[in-house]
Amino acid sequence: MVKLVVVLALVLAIVGILLGAIGSALLGNDYFVPIPEVHLAPQEVFTIGGFVVTNTLLSAWLTTFVILLLFGLGTRKMSFVPGRLQGLLEFLIEALFGFVKGVAGEKYARKWFPLLATIFIFVAFNAWMALLPIYPTVGFTKEGSDHITTHLFRSAGTDINMPLALAVIAFIFIEIWGFRVHGLGYLKEFIRIGNPIQMFIGLIELISHFIRLVSFTFRLFGNMLAGEIVLFMMTFLTIIITPVIFYGLEILVGGVQALVFMGLTLVFAVMAVATHGDHSQEDSEAESH
Amino acid sequence: MDTLIQVADAAKFLAVGLAGLGLAGVGIGLGIVGSGAMNALGRNPEARDAIAPNMILALAFTEAIGIYGLVTAILLIFVA
Repeated sequence: MVKLVVVLALVLAIVGILLGAIGSALLGNDYFVPIPEVHLAPQEVFTIGGFVVTNTLLSAWLTTFVILLLFGLGTRKMSFVPGRLQGLLEFLIEALFGFVKGVAGEKYARKWFPLLATIFIFVAFNAWMALLPIYPTVGFTKEGSDHITTHLFRSAGTDINMPLALAVIAFIFIEIWGFRVHGLGYLKEFIRIGNPIQMFIGLIELISHFIRLVSFTFRLFGNMLAGEIVLFMMTFLTIIITPVIFYGLEILVGGVQALVFMGLTLVFAVMAVATHGDHSQEDSEAESH
Repeated sequence: MDTLIQVADAAKFLAVGLAGLGLAGVGIGLGIVGSGAMNALGRNPEARDAIAPNMILALAFTEAIGIYGLVTAILLIFVA
């Protein structure tokens, strides 16, 4: 039985390669799937007044709606012994909270958890929902072409504004907590009076704090955009079976990038609030969970 | 004038290829991170819960550098 399925999958994969771009070029047919156009900027879908709604913004709204629906349904009739949906959501929240507590310690984990969990859930849901079939298939065609030129939904991470917004939020979060815990003494990290080497190190610290904006943005943006391009290209080159492997890769990448965004915000916040006296206490707290 | 445009196009494609060369370092770096994690895991298989999330974090950091190169290449192709 398994052998039959494997043989069938292999035959379909070869058929896909032959019908796809490689086979079409070799045999001289027309392309079965139209050549994908890669856009760096998001495309406009409609305008409300003067406000342009792009397909990535529409997709972010859809993701927000789905998250709110999911969590709203799960917390409607909460019972001490959870039902299935509530149990699933509790598992997710407890896993995230365990991760945050393991890195930040009990005291800060409770205060930071809402923002960090929101970052993770928003990024992960945006990345995973982009793998649904309605994303590449629903769209508008231009006059005179028979394939979609503007998709209705597009993964929100492929628009550089979403990663940039999250990076700015994370940056402000880290700096505010640094000032909250240390007061104005937080600036002593950057402005170190002493020998020139100390002042240089302080300058490097300042630059590295601001570079986080760039690195957060481009890490998420690059991963999401590259994932979208890879999926388009693999569907163009081999129509069936082989793109499934890349969908699996995209599921992994979406989850990992969400975890990395949250984990890095968490680690930088821990470094910002750390007072250099009690390092040993924080280390033992992190190990003893 | 046409030759100038062709030279500019050729230079653009060369630049895109050069932007991709940076990925060699990223590949080596990822291998080093993985190798360090495998060594630690081999010495102490019970430390799996401590090693695995840190390895994923280090992998993502290193991967990000490669993503910068990729974004540069994409920007060159489509915008420049």
